[in-house]
Amino acid sequence: MIEIKDLSYKYPGAEKPALKDINLQIKDGEFILITGESGSGKSTLLYTINGLIPNLFGGELTGSISVNGLVPKENPIRRLSQFVGTVFQNADSQIFMLRVEDDVAFGCENLLFPRDEIIIRRNLALKELSLWDIRERETFTLSGGQKQRLAIAGIYAMGPKIFLFDEPTTDLDEEGRRDLFQILRGLKHRGYTIILVEHQYEDFIPFADRTINFKEGQITLSLDPLPSRLNPKRKKNFHQSLPPYLKIEDLWFGYEGHPCLKGINLQIRKGESVALFGKNGSGKTTLFKAILGLLRPQKGKITIEGISNPELSPYGCKIGFLYQNPDEQLFTCSVEEEISFGPKNLGININIEEALKLFELEGYKGRQPQTLSRGERQRLALASILSMQPEIILLDEPTTGLDTKGWTKFMDITYNLTLRGKTVVFSTHNRKAMGEFADRLIQIEEGKIIRDEILR
Amino acid sequence: MMRFSDKNTPFHRIDPRTKVILSLMVAVLVVVLNNVLLLMVLFLSIFSAYLFTRPSLSNLKILVFMMATVFLSTMISQGFFYYLEPKTPVVTIVSKSVPLIGGLTGGLQIYREGLIYGAVQSLRLIIVMTLALLIVLTTYPSDLILGLTKFGLPQRIGFMLMVSIRFLPSIIEEARRILIAQKLRGLKLKGLRGVLRGFRHLTIPLVINCLRSGRQIALAAEVRAFTERRTSMKELKLSWFDPLVVTIGFLLSFFLIYMELFK
Repeated sequence: MIEIKDLSYKYPGAEKPALKDINLQIKDGEFILITGESGSGKSTLLYTINGLIPNLFGGELTGSISVNGLVPKENPIRRLSQFVGTVFQNADSQIFMLRVEDDVAFGCENLLFPRDEIIIRRNLALKELSLWDIRERETFTLSGGQKQRLAIAGIYAMGPKIFLFDEPTTDLDEEGRRDLFQILRGLKHRGYTIILVEHQYEDFIPFADRTINFKEGQITLSLDPLPSRLNPKRKKNFHQSLPPYLKIEDLWFGYEGHPCLKGINLQIRKGESVALFGKNGSGKTTLFKAILGLLRPQKGKITIEGISNPELSPYGCKIGFLYQNPDEQLFTCSVEEEISFGPKNLGININIEEALKLFELEGYKGRQPQTLSRGERQRLALASILSMQPEIILLDEPTTGLDTKGWTKFMDITYNLTLRGKTVVFSTHNRKAMGEFADRLIQIEEGKIIRDEILR
Repeated sequence: MMRFSDKNTPFHRIDPRTKVILSLMVAVLVVVLNNVLLLMVLFLSIFSAYLFTRPSLSNLKILVFMMATVFLSTMISQGFFYYLEPKTPVVTIVSKSVPLIGGLTGGLQIYREGLIYGAVQSLRLIIVMTLALLIVLTTYPSDLILGLTKFGLPQRIGFMLMVSIRFLPSIIEEARRILIAQKLRGLKLKGLRGVLRGFRHLTIPLVINCLRSGRQIALAAEVRAFTERRTSMKELKLSWFDPLVVTIGFLLSFFLIYMELFK
């Protein structure tokens, strides 16, 4: 049982409180879904329950909170960790050991359980989370979904009664999500208390006993309606007779003899917004790399504007590519330098002010890119690519890591580009983004296009 | 080539603590020994231990090539530029009497003492290289760290080492993606200047991303109750083989040091 009374919290050095007068009672075995925008205080609430606040973060905590009768302020995090388990957003950063089974035992070793008990707990956790068959694998070779299961197994083995999940689905594909739903259902069935913070929460509503919405550090009564499109979708007229801008014919590619793309045939017209979807590892990113000219196809032809692959320079400025993680493509010291980096290399002059305005980054000209927020960094990364005036923009999972408002804003900008004649191809697991911002859906599974539909 | 390979050879079965002791012995020997022949004996014994781990032919080729490069280049450069006296020329390439160049260079000759000095220095390097390779190839990283903590390495440092090994593949992968992003933004990475330019823009995102994930890793370790005192799942077991190896190592060391000092 978790009891929270008049809880307020301010991070050290912050002006505004992150949590304001929270009153909440969570009974044993309840499944609570917590939603809200980025920075609304959802994760902060989790940190007050597992004791990271105030034990690690410091700051001003007022009001009272008790977790199974323990007051987090008066107990070290390691004592609390036997009652409260926390699974964070990025599974990768929760794995410390090289071997799967060693990582599952890590927490138990810290809690000084006797060796025999650790073995029992470890094996149980490996079996419960279907990791038994891969228990001797090296952890950095696992898929996203497997890493997520491993992160949960490591917590499960420590035997907490309460599970906190901080945006667990961010890096998962459709299958990984289904996997997670099953795990959550199992945990709930066995009487564990679950508190789950999530942006893309719609799928969790059927599981949850209660949904709590956060806004500016407070619990608001009802769920906010989803933000509507900033601009209503404008009709586009495609001339079916127009020759395709990008044409892929019978494209084959494989890594070390393992085929990833098996005969892709695809034609994309100028001004189209295309969503690519399919499981992780189905070949979406490989297809992007092939279009960019980073991979030499083993068979087949890619034609862009009538130029086919042999002559296509590997970094032709006709195509822009946005990574899933924008931090991997921001490498200069100021926003201005970042945007003008590409054009300078290509010898193009650009209007910085206009670019800043288009991407709503006005006033950030001299800022160090890494000090911007996640959403701003992603817009800056896109700005730095668009400044090179590409015709086609490829976006790898542009909606992950952003809340609904954040990605809606971002995708709206990219959709508007297609109205101005640019071509956009994005990969995503986010069904809502597909429905709202794509003219056409393409599903890739195991290296083949299995569905290609134009949305009306 | 530098990764642990799971084979069942005698050297794989040696306890990591024994390996730590052996490396300490070799560290002392490498400094104390000054004689080419004795260093050669030491090198050959380590190299034959390496051969016992049944390395693949391609790995062996790379290693031999690397060793030969180090050995020859050090010997030749030292042979030319040895500056201590006395020195005996073995080969004369440009004699002092040749007009202009002879006078300017003071004669270009290969000295015997230089060759020997080069051989000693490069053997020291090669011995350490081979031993490091031998240990990395035959010891699971976490076992090696466990062995080190048994010798008093603080748990925290051991954990840090472990995490850095664990994240090395991800960091390399990330660096690769950043370099591709630079290429896609028109940066030419060819040539020395290009590589330097690439590195300049690589460090900022790499360091910041590492710091970001470092913070997350710290939180995750915290909620999994990380402390100094922990139960250790793996128990290191000494077999009859370990004292034998240590004894052989000691005898060899004594012999070599004796030969060095009193021959």
